[in-house]
Amino acid sequence: MATAAVSPIVPPVHAQWNLPRRGRAGILALILTETAFFSIFVAAYVFYIGKSLSPPYPRDVLSPPIVNTICLLSSSITIVLAVRALRAGHTRVFGLWWLVTFMLGLEFLAGTAAEWYGLIYHDHLTISTNLFGTTFYSLVGLHAMHVTIGLIMILVVMLLTAGGHLSRRYAEHTEMLSWYWHFVDAVWVVVFTTVYVIGR
Amino acid sequence: MSEASDQSRERVPKTVQVPAPTAWPMIAALGLTMAFAGLVTSFVVSAVGAVLLLAGAVGWFGEVFPQQHCELAEVEPAAAPVIAARAAAARLAVGEQGHRGILPLEIYPYSAGIKGGIAGGFVMAGLAVIHGVLAHGSPWYTINILAATAMANLANASTAALSAFDPQAFMVALVIHGIVSLLVGLLYGVMLPIVPRNPIFFGGVVAPLLWSGILYASLKVINPVLDARIEWRWFVLCQIGFGVVAGLVVARSERIHTFQHLPFAMRMGIEAPGVMSKRERG
Amino acid sequence: MEQEIALSAREQAELPLLGRLHEWVVTVDHKRLGLMYIGGGLLFFVVAGLQAVMMRLQLAVPDNHLVPPQVFNRFLTMHGTAMVFLVGMPILTGYFNYLVPLMVGARDLAFPRLNSFGFWLWFFGALLLYFSYIGGDGLYGAGSAPDVGWFAYAPLTERAFSRGNSTDYWILSIFLTSVGSTATAVNIITTAFCMRCRGMTLGKMPVVVWLAVVVAFMMLLALPPLSAAQVMLLLDRFAGAHFFDTQAGGSALLWQHFFWIFGHPEVYILVIPVFGFASEIIPVFSRKVIFGYQVMVAASIAIAFISMGVWAHHMFAVGMTPAGNAFFATSTMLVAVPTGIKIFNWIGTIWGGKIRLRVPMLFSLAFLFQFMIAGLTGIMLAVAPFDWQLTDTYFVVAHFHYVLIGAIVFMIFAASYYWFPKATGRMLNERLGQVHFWLFLIGFHLTFDPLHFAGIHGMPRRIYTYQPGRGLEGLNLIASIGAVIQALAVLVFVINVVYSLAWGEEAGPDPWDAWTLEWSTASPPPEYNFAVEPEVYSRRPLWDLKHPDDPDWLYE
Repeated sequence: MATAAVSPIVPPVHAQWNLPRRGRAGILALILTETAFFSIFVAAYVFYIGKSLSPPYPRDVLSPPIVNTICLLSSSITIVLAVRALRAGHTRVFGLWWLVTFMLGLEFLAGTAAEWYGLIYHDHLTISTNLFGTTFYSLVGLHAMHVTIGLIMILVVMLLTAGGHLSRRYAEHTEMLSWYWHFVDAVWVVVFTTVYVIGR
Repeated sequence: MSEASDQSRERVPKTVQVPAPTAWPMIAALGLTMAFAGLVTSFVVSAVGAVLLLAGAVGWFGEVFPQQHCELAEVEPAAAPVIAARAAAARLAVGEQGHRGILPLEIYPYSAGIKGGIAGGFVMAGLAVIHGVLAHGSPWYTINILAATAMANLANASTAALSAFDPQAFMVALVIHGIVSLLVGLLYGVMLPIVPRNPIFFGGVVAPLLWSGILYASLKVINPVLDARIEWRWFVLCQIGFGVVAGLVVARSERIHTFQHLPFAMRMGIEAPGVMSKRERG
Repeated sequence: MEQEIALSAREQAELPLLGRLHEWVVTVDHKRLGLMYIGGGLLFFVVAGLQAVMMRLQLAVPDNHLVPPQVFNRFLTMHGTAMVFLVGMPILTGYFNYLVPLMVGARDLAFPRLNSFGFWLWFFGALLLYFSYIGGDGLYGAGSAPDVGWFAYAPLTERAFSRGNSTDYWILSIFLTSVGSTATAVNIITTAFCMRCRGMTLGKMPVVVWLAVVVAFMMLLALPPLSAAQVMLLLDRFAGAHFFDTQAGGSALLWQHFFWIFGHPEVYILVIPVFGFASEIIPVFSRKVIFGYQVMVAASIAIAFISMGVWAHHMFAVGMTPAGNAFFATSTMLVAVPTGIKIFNWIGTIWGGKIRLRVPMLFSLAFLFQFMIAGLTGIMLAVAPFDWQLTDTYFVVAHFHYVLIGAIVFMIFAASYYWFPKATGRMLNERLGQVHFWLFLIGFHLTFDPLHFAGIHGMPRRIYTYQPGRGLEGLNLIASIGAVIQALAVLVFVINVVYSLAWGEEAGPDPWDAWTLEWSTASPPPEYNFAVEPEVYSRRPLWDLKHPDDPDWLYE
C-alpha cells in the first residue's frame, strides 16, 4: 500500500485517563435544575411577603417547626453514616442507619401534616384564602413532595436491603441517593429561613 | 498489507455490548402524560396513567437492577479506512504572496487619521457655513440644525430662530462635529490601507454617499421634522468635502510597517532557532 | 455474570413493517432517538408552518375574512408554542442526541433509558398540545386550542378570563416537554464530561459538543422557571390559588418576569446549537481549521452567562424604574460583544480558505449575514425609548423571525444537508438542494424584510386584520407572497429527502472530507458506533489519521 511508505510521526502516549463518574455528574445536574425550580418558588414567596389582603397573617399562625427541622437535618448525618457502613461492607449496620434515616424523614412529613392540619382546621388557612396561603402551601408543599419522593426511594432501598439484594457494589448508588437527600435538606434550610424567619 | 493494520484488526472484538431495547421508559412517559391529561379530561385517565407510570417505573428498575440488561451486537466488517480526498495540505506562511498579502503589512499611523479628521472637519464646516449664508443669509443656520439632532426643541423652531446665534446650540454643534470628525478620521486611517484600489475615491465619494444614503432613508422615519429642514444636495456636498480632504491627508502621510510578516517569536524578540520552520510557535 | 443476552439485532434483520416499527419504539439507541426527535420536529415544523402560512394569507389583503379572529388567535398561539417547543427544541436536541456520543467517541449517551424516557415524554406532550383542538372544549363547552399567545400573559390566563381547558392544555403539554428536555440536558452534560474517549480532553472536544454542554446547562437553569410558573398558574386555575390573580393582590407582572427569565435564555438555547453547526460546517467547507477555538467556546459561555441577566428587555413597556431600564438595556447590548467575536471568528475561518460552495456552506453563508442583521435590529430594540415606540409591532416580529428563521432554520437546513449522508448513507440531491436554498432565501427576505417597515409604520403584532389606506397593504402582500415561496421551498426539501432516501447517491463514510470522529464510522454508523474505542490527540482526529506526516497535535 502506498500509505505504508510514509513513516508516521508517533503520537504521545496517554498516561492516565480518568473521567468523572456518570452517576455523580447526573445527580449534580439534577440538583442544579431542581435548585433553579425551587428558587422561583422562593422568589415568589419573598415577593408576596406582606401583600396578603386578608387574614390570617404569618405572624399570627406560624410557629417555627424546630423538632421537624432537627429531625430532617440530622437525617443527613445518619444517611452519611449508612453509606460509609456500606462502603466498608457492613450491610447490617447500613440497614440500621438507613432505617433511622427513613424514620427521621417520616417524622418530618408527619410533623408537616400536623402543622397543616392545624392551619387548615384551626386557623382556616387554605391555599385559596389569601396570598400567604397560596405561597406557603405551594412552597412548603413542593418541598414536602421532594421529601416524599426521597422517602419512597429510601424505602425501596430498605426493602432491597431486607431482601438481601444489597451489597457493597451499590455503595456508589446509595451515595447518589444521599446526595439528593442532602439537597432536600439544604432546600429546607432555605425554606425555613424564608418562611419562618424572614416571612414572619 | 502492512503489519500494523493486521495488529489493529486483531484488537477489534467480534461483538460489542449495547444496552438492550426496552419499552418501559416509554410506558412510564405515557403514564405520566396520561396522569397529567386526566386533569383536563377525566379522573379515569389519570388513574390509568398512574398505574402505567408505576408499571413503567418498576419495569425500568428491573432493567437496571441488579445488573443492566445488555445485548450483544455483532461487529460489522470495518468501514473503509480513513483517507483524505487530497493527501497534501498547503500551508501558508504569514506574509507570503497570495491572498494573505492583503493583511496590511503597512498601515497609516493613528496621527494621520486624527490629522485627516481635523482637516476634513474644517473643510466640512466651511462648506456648511457657506450653504447657510447662501440659502438663509446666516452662517448660524446649519450649525443650529446640527445641534438640533441632540436638542429636540430646536428642530421645531422657526427659520428666523435658527438663523440667530445660540451659544448653547453652538457648543453642542461644536462638540458633535468635533468628535464625529475625529472618529471618522481615525476610521479612515485604519480602513484606507485595506481598500484595494483608489483609496481617495473610496474615502471621498463612495463612503460619504453610502452614509448619506443611509441617513436620507432613515431620517424620514426617525425624525421627520428635522428631515424636512435638511437640504440634501448640500449635505452630500459637505460630506464629500470632508471625505476627499480627510482621505487626501491620510493617504499622503507616511506609512509604517506592522511587522505582521515576521514570525511571532521574532516580533517578541525571542531567539527561537528550530521553531521558526514549523508553524509559528511562541 | 448474570446478564441477560437477547437475540442479536443482526439475526432479525429482515423484519416485517410492524416488527421494524416495534424496533424503533423500544429503542434506546441515541442515533435512533435522535432521528426520531428530528423527524418529529420536522413533522410539527410542517404543521406549525402551515398555520403560519394561513395567518399570512389572512393578512395578505386588508379587511380579509379568510380566517376568523378566534381561529387566528389559536393559530398564532399554536404556531409560536409549537415552533419553540415542538420544533426548535426537539430538532436541536435531536442533533445533539445523534452527534454528541459520536463526536466524543462514545458508544451511547450516559443514560440511554433516560434518553428514551425524555423523547417519549416530549412526544406525548406534543400530541397533548395538538389534542387540545379536539379536547380543549372541556367541561364548559368553551374554547378549543390555546389562544393566549405563546407567552400567555397573566391575568388573561386565569379561570375568569380563559374559560374551558385550552390554557390547561398549554400548561400541561409544555410542562411535560420541558421535563423531557431536562432529561436530555442531564444526559448530554454527563456524556460530555464522563464518556469522552481516550485523549479527548475538554480542550479537544469539537465545538458542537462544547456548545451542546453550554446549551444543556442553560436548559437546566432556564426551563425550571417556566415549569415553576406553570405550576403556579395550574394551582391558580385548579386549586384557587392567587399567584397571578390581580383581584386578590396577585401580580400579573410576576408572571412576565418568570416567563422571560425562561423566555430570553430560551432564544439562546435555540441559537447556540446552530452556532455549533456553523463552527463545524464552515471550517470543513473552507478547508481550514476553525479560527480561535478557545475564544469561540469562551464567547459562547459568555453569551449564555449574559443571557441569564437580560430578560426584562422584553418588558420595557410595562414601566420599570429608569435604573431597571438602564440595567437591562446595557446588559442586552453587552450580548453583542461575544456575538460579534463569534461572527468575526467565522469570517476569519472563511478568510483565505479554499471555499467549496456546496449546499451546507450556502446555508451557512446566508446564516452569517442574516444573523448579523438580526443582531443589529436586536441592539436597536435594546434601546429602551426605541423599544417603547416599536414594542409589540411587526418590527419585533420581523426581528425575532430573522433570528429564528434567518439564523436557526437556515443552519438546521445546513446541518441537515451536512449530516444526512452520515445518518442515512445517502447524499441529499445537490441540485434540489440549490433550488431549496434559493427559494427559501428569496421567500425569507420577501416575507421578513418588508415586515420591519410595516412595524415602523405602526402595524401591531397579533392582529387578525387591518384597515386599508394606512400604507400597509403593499408590505403585507409581499410578505404573504414570500411566505408561500418559503412553503414551496420546504416542499422541495421534503421531496429531496424522500427522493434521496430512495435514489440518492451513495455517500460512503466521509463524503465531505471532514475531521471529527463521526466521519470515521460507516454511514449509517453501526449500533455500537465504534468497535474499538478511538483515541484522539488533537481537535481534528481525522486530520491526524489522514495526514500522519503532518498531524495537528504538533501545533495545538
